[in-house]
Amino acid sequence: MFLNIGPHHPATHGVLHLKTVLDGEQVADVEPDIGYLHRCEEQMCQNNNYRHQIMPYPDRWDYTANLPNEWAYARVAEDLNDIEVPEYAQILRTMSVEFARIMGHMLAVGTFALDVYGDFTATFMYAIRDRELVQNILEDLTGQRMMFNYFRLGGVVWDLPEPREEFFEKVRDFIDDLPEALEEYHDLITTNEIFQKRTIGTGVIDAETAKQYGCTGPVARASGIDYDLRRDDPYGYYDELDWDVVTEDGCDNFARLLVRMREVEESAKLISQCVDLLEDWPEDERDIQSNVPRTLKPDADTEVYRAVEGAKGELGIYVRSDGTDKPARFKIRSPCFNNLHSLEAMAQGEYVPDLIAALGSLDVILGEVDR
Amino acid sequence: MSLAPLQADPVLLPETIARALFGGGDLAIWQEALAAFLGAFVVGNIMLAMTGVAGPWAKRKITAAFTDRIAVNRVGPAGLLIIVADAVRLLGKELIIPEGADRPAYDLAPLVVASSALLGFAVIPMGQIFGVNLMLADPEIGLAFVFAAASIATLGLAMAGYASNNKYSLMGGLRAIAQNIAYEIPLILTAASVVLFTDTLQMSGIVAAQQEPLFTVAGITIPSWFAFVNPFAFVLFVVANLAEVGRNPFDVPEAPTEIIAGYQTEYSSVYFVLFYLGEFLHIFLGGAIIATVFLGGPAGPFLPESLNFVWFVIKIWAVFLFTQWARSAVPRVRIDQLIEIGWKGMLVMSLANLVLTAVIVGVML
Repeated sequence: MFLNIGPHHPATHGVLHLKTVLDGEQVADVEPDIGYLHRCEEQMCQNNNYRHQIMPYPDRWDYTANLPNEWAYARVAEDLNDIEVPEYAQILRTMSVEFARIMGHMLAVGTFALDVYGDFTATFMYAIRDRELVQNILEDLTGQRMMFNYFRLGGVVWDLPEPREEFFEKVRDFIDDLPEALEEYHDLITTNEIFQKRTIGTGVIDAETAKQYGCTGPVARASGIDYDLRRDDPYGYYDELDWDVVTEDGCDNFARLLVRMREVEESAKLISQCVDLLEDWPEDERDIQSNVPRTLKPDADTEVYRAVEGAKGELGIYVRSDGTDKPARFKIRSPCFNNLHSLEAMAQGEYVPDLIAALGSLDVILGEVDR
Repeated sequence: MSLAPLQADPVLLPETIARALFGGGDLAIWQEALAAFLGAFVVGNIMLAMTGVAGPWAKRKITAAFTDRIAVNRVGPAGLLIIVADAVRLLGKELIIPEGADRPAYDLAPLVVASSALLGFAVIPMGQIFGVNLMLADPEIGLAFVFAAASIATLGLAMAGYASNNKYSLMGGLRAIAQNIAYEIPLILTAASVVLFTDTLQMSGIVAAQQEPLFTVAGITIPSWFAFVNPFAFVLFVVANLAEVGRNPFDVPEAPTEIIAGYQTEYSSVYFVLFYLGEFLHIFLGGAIIATVFLGGPAGPFLPESLNFVWFVIKIWAVFLFTQWARSAVPRVRIDQLIEIGWKGMLVMSLANLVLTAVIVGVML
């Protein structure tokens, strides 16, 4: 039986259309049909100049964890134009991006629970509640709650809000309360027997297939692929800090959830180290931006590809310059795009509920898939 | 085996009404029919009013409490007037009938679902309010009747499923049938284990059999409610009832994140309201069966017998609360797991429970 799941369906997390062929209730074939949220992001970036105009756009790609996207653009533009970033700004970037990662993972855990539980579930609201705390902190830091626009080429736009002690206290309170909150999730979901029955062994994708589909991020790491750009292609302040790359060998929906929950803990570890560093930083060395020329005109026909570890995986940007102040080609390598298409391998032969669960565990953000 | 003598047969509601209207003595057929109709009208409206409170308001409030929210609080005190607002909203909506719908079946399905649940309340002993016994009929086959009436709803769900001309509805309808067959048998077998104790299917008899004290702990007398006599059967029944009314972890026929809304995907406006009414009435009917069979019917401490309807309401609302709790906190099982639990788990356990009870009743009493 051919079944259209979406574009308007409660479980597609946006506008995604799954062309599904069912055998009874089992999935014989599934093909994601994307493009409903296409906003010409790449074209828009090509029509704007490097220096100021592109930076707000990355916030609109993965709108649940925006800051890593900004870093992806900042990284490519800075390498293209040989811009140095002060160390202090790198720490600020690292901290804010890890907050954004927590935001993204909280939403992923909440919506995954929504897919497995049903429409009225406590876990989702708990996840949103804890995400709200992060949003409040980021609002203090950046002035925005969603479209942060915090990064600038050569640094960030603001220093920490004054009084700094208050901000540090707020962050530390959040970090201290986080283990308890995560414990609540473990009580509610990961240790729940029915939940385990639903998620362990379903939506399986082995490491080899995951690599073939180009999966990255938590999806790849849950299949045992030890790949994290923060460690493997260090940027920012990550190689100075003490943290671990989380991997799981389950290859299933449950493993992907576990990876996200453990990555939240790792992010918290990173944030608390950043806060310690920021607190002790000498007052006269707090450079948040380096000197960047007013107009950036990289040499013609320079090609750069730089990627960062977004909340969903490897978020890369390819830029080719043509000697003007605008990119000649701007291409985004979105992790969600690749992760989404591994769905057909995951859902093969599964029941419809597990197709939905697998889709939830992939944590696709259609804004980033379609761009 | 000895049972406490049945209480002096309380007068049923239609008879009370007939006496009030026409005085005592012999009544003509039309007088009896009118009294019965009025009785049914009263009971039906009590249940509909309860559903009206439960659906738009209590459900939201309860779910909000579980999920750390506030819910309706602007319209009227504590948001209570949302009931009126919702009624106007739902009735004012356009009734959309999909192209290719199988007309009579499509229109009848919501009626079947809502009325079958209401029918079950005919034999439920709801207790007394100011001395008026709110029980419509007390046939000897009471328990069998209430299960039979409740099962008709499955027919409505199947009709809605295929008549909507929608693949999601069809899947929901088929799921509903599979689920109800798998869970109704354990449900009835578990209830049958209680009947072994009571020797009767008559609802008033089942309630009366639970009035004796079971034992006394620290001055508190525990009545011989079957929930205390046979807790295993009680748990089995409550779980099977969750599947029967389609609530988590067994809400697969609706499963909003999987098949949108199952059999009711295509229903809007008044038909949608009827489906919702039916659903809540079913939860309350499930609660009423649990209260009658396992929790001593309307019996309860502190209140005089002439007001024990209050206890009945508290009991069925407790069951309603439990279903909402499950909905907020328990994940949904997959359809194949649901069938597996039903046939391989619940059925075996309920049969074991039945045999064990039969042995105990046969040997010890």
